[in-house]
Amino acid sequence: MNSKVKKRLYFFLVSIITILVIGKFIFDSLKINSVYFFSPTDLKNTTEIPNGVIRIGGMVKNKSLKKVGNQYSFIVTDFKNEILVNYNGIKPNLFEEGQGAVVEGKLNTRTNLVATKILAKHDENYMPKEVADALKKTKNWKKNYGK
Amino acid sequence: MASSVANIILILSIFFSFLSNLFFFKKKIKLSIHTFNLSSILIISSFFLLIFYFSTSNFSISTVYENSHTLKPFFYKISGTWGNHEGSLLLFILIVGLYGTLFSLIYNKNITFKSWVIFFQNNIYLIFLIFLIVKSNPFDLIIPTPKEGLGLNPILQDPLLVFHPPFLYLGYVGFSLTLSLVLAALVTRQLDSTWAKISWPWVMSSWVFLTIGITLGSVWAYYELGWGGYWFWDPVENASLMPWLAGTALIHSLIVLKSKNKMQNWTALLAILTFSLSLLGTFLVRSGILNSVHAFANDPDRGIFILVIIFFITTVSLLIHTFYSSNTSNNKNLFFSKESFLNINNLFLLFFLFIILLGTVYPIILSALNESISIGPDYYNTILAPFIFIFLIAMSIGPILKWSQNIGLKDIYYLLIVFFISIILSSLIIIFSKRNELILYLGLASSLVLIFTILFEIYKSSYKISIINLSRLSSHLGVGVFILSVFLNSYFSKTKDFEIQIGETKKFDNVSLNFTNQNIFKINNYLEMRTDFEILDNNKIFILNPSIRRYFQPDQITSETSIKPTLMSNHYLVINFPDLNSKVIGARYYFNFFIHGIWFGLILIIFGGILSVFKKRI
Repeated sequence: MNSKVKKRLYFFLVSIITILVIGKFIFDSLKINSVYFFSPTDLKNTTEIPNGVIRIGGMVKNKSLKKVGNQYSFIVTDFKNEILVNYNGIKPNLFEEGQGAVVEGKLNTRTNLVATKILAKHDENYMPKEVADALKKTKNWKKNYGK
Repeated sequence: MASSVANIILILSIFFSFLSNLFFFKKKIKLSIHTFNLSSILIISSFFLLIFYFSTSNFSISTVYENSHTLKPFFYKISGTWGNHEGSLLLFILIVGLYGTLFSLIYNKNITFKSWVIFFQNNIYLIFLIFLIVKSNPFDLIIPTPKEGLGLNPILQDPLLVFHPPFLYLGYVGFSLTLSLVLAALVTRQLDSTWAKISWPWVMSSWVFLTIGITLGSVWAYYELGWGGYWFWDPVENASLMPWLAGTALIHSLIVLKSKNKMQNWTALLAILTFSLSLLGTFLVRSGILNSVHAFANDPDRGIFILVIIFFITTVSLLIHTFYSSNTSNNKNLFFSKESFLNINNLFLLFFLFIILLGTVYPIILSALNESISIGPDYYNTILAPFIFIFLIAMSIGPILKWSQNIGLKDIYYLLIVFFISIILSSLIIIFSKRNELILYLGLASSLVLIFTILFEIYKSSYKISIINLSRLSSHLGVGVFILSVFLNSYFSKTKDFEIQIGETKKFDNVSLNFTNQNIFKINNYLEMRTDFEILDNNKIFILNPSIRRYFQPDQITSETSIKPTLMSNHYLVINFPDLNSKVIGARYYFNFFIHGIWFGLILIIFGGILSVFKKRI
């Protein structure tokens, strides 16, 4: 092999390895930082309880919002299954009973989530897309739930 | 009546736009340009008509009805014109036309080239005009005329947001002219350094507008959303960052084209990429595919329509590029030369772009497979950080290199000195702050290298800097200051959630917050509950007044932050709606370190950009 070809071959190999390493790095990071969304029914049907941070969403059940000390608790429902959410923090302005909500946190049991974040809504009529889809799946979607 | 006047104007403008194409094919070049300009003027007048309907609350127009209200302050009645899907699309088209018209007025050298530019610009304009009339006519009639409008989302009723969309659009849409310039140059085979000089001010001004638009949005998010930050890696924010990155790469390859007549095809590709990403941004933001304050329309048809337009414009551009691109010889560059470092710049910027594109689009693709995920900010931070360090170092070395020459010995010495100073200084910061974190250390060191290289350059030239250099020095210094501040801010800021009643005091570290008073005011279209907090920070006392507003139409509650800037940081307080039957309010306090540096860095970047629009090309 002459030196020019050799040089090119090395260059080629080094580039391939670099690309693979960076690709692996990106892929892993993407995987680690993906937060999956579940509806209460999805959670009931999963075989394995997800153990990382997840998001759940549905309607906040009427008369379920309670507050003990600094701790809020409420029930998120898709009218088929329910999840009890515990949340320690500030309640966003637009978070109310009877409205759609998305919360982020870790599961304690299959039906209990310890939330770290309640996702803020930008306006009153807005229904999170995931929640709308979840409600449509259980056929509990009503047209007046937001635009 | 109101509706039909406006619709006649729209139809006339679409007619003249068609006519312009017809004249172009008949080789009646001047007529073609004139008819395009006429159409563009008609669109401008229709936009003013829409502003007039908004300011007079003419609810027979459905766009006005859906987005305005008689009680709204006059200022926001006007800004409501572009605070909605239809109006903002009309603004989009207006700007496509405006750029074309301005170009036709200013550029007069090569008439064939000019007519091709206007031809391409006219067709981009026409496509969106058809979309407007078919799918999102802002002048649709509503019968019977409602007495009152639905109002504008209160968080959009903000002085900064009046200017954020027009600036962003002047940037995004400005790149349509860049695309037309490239396509015209390809077709007439004049993609060379002369072309680069002609295009420079147009590309730069779009880039400056886009930068200003993003900055305004970021500042708005900082004080209005009450999340304490300036950037959240939200898909909508990413949508604006992607064309910005591509545009930044374009500017740098344009420099090579201008000075060395190299990288023609690459520059053309970047121009196509930049405008395609601008359109992708429009699609992501406007189609309702993303959950955000920007998503006005949840009409899937519109989304598909925009997608088809993107596909069409990009494909046609790429076809023209393939057919007309010239075979330039691929001459090798010395590694430590200016060209080579400008290549490195492009490589890095496109890599950043790819990472952001992946993080933004991946969840959308998965959602088509019925899986719903979101990508956390750590994805971007962990991947981008290590490459930012290398990028900053390359950014320090690149500009001091010369065209087609290897690095000089003198420059190596002076770089070594800069490295040495930066390493010492960042070590000192790490030692005194007791934050032994590698990422922080590398972030500080690399941004300091950039800052000191530039300060050294200014010193070496004994402060006699030409305007050409000043623009680059200012923008690059801005990047250094910006990244440095980002690192300082993210590592030394603090946040605390708490609940508090009147009379109570809370203490964290050296800061104590005392909730002293609350009052309710009635203002125009909202009720406001304003609170007084006395903040004691290292023996200095000041007052913060975060408040909660209840808007009447639409009925909505918003939190208004209260921010006290000090020399090095911001004290930032936001409160939430109290439970009706308790006196306790929820509050969140942020100590935002070095946030001024972030804004200052952005201002330097913008200032450099503005200078370079006007600088004379040699």
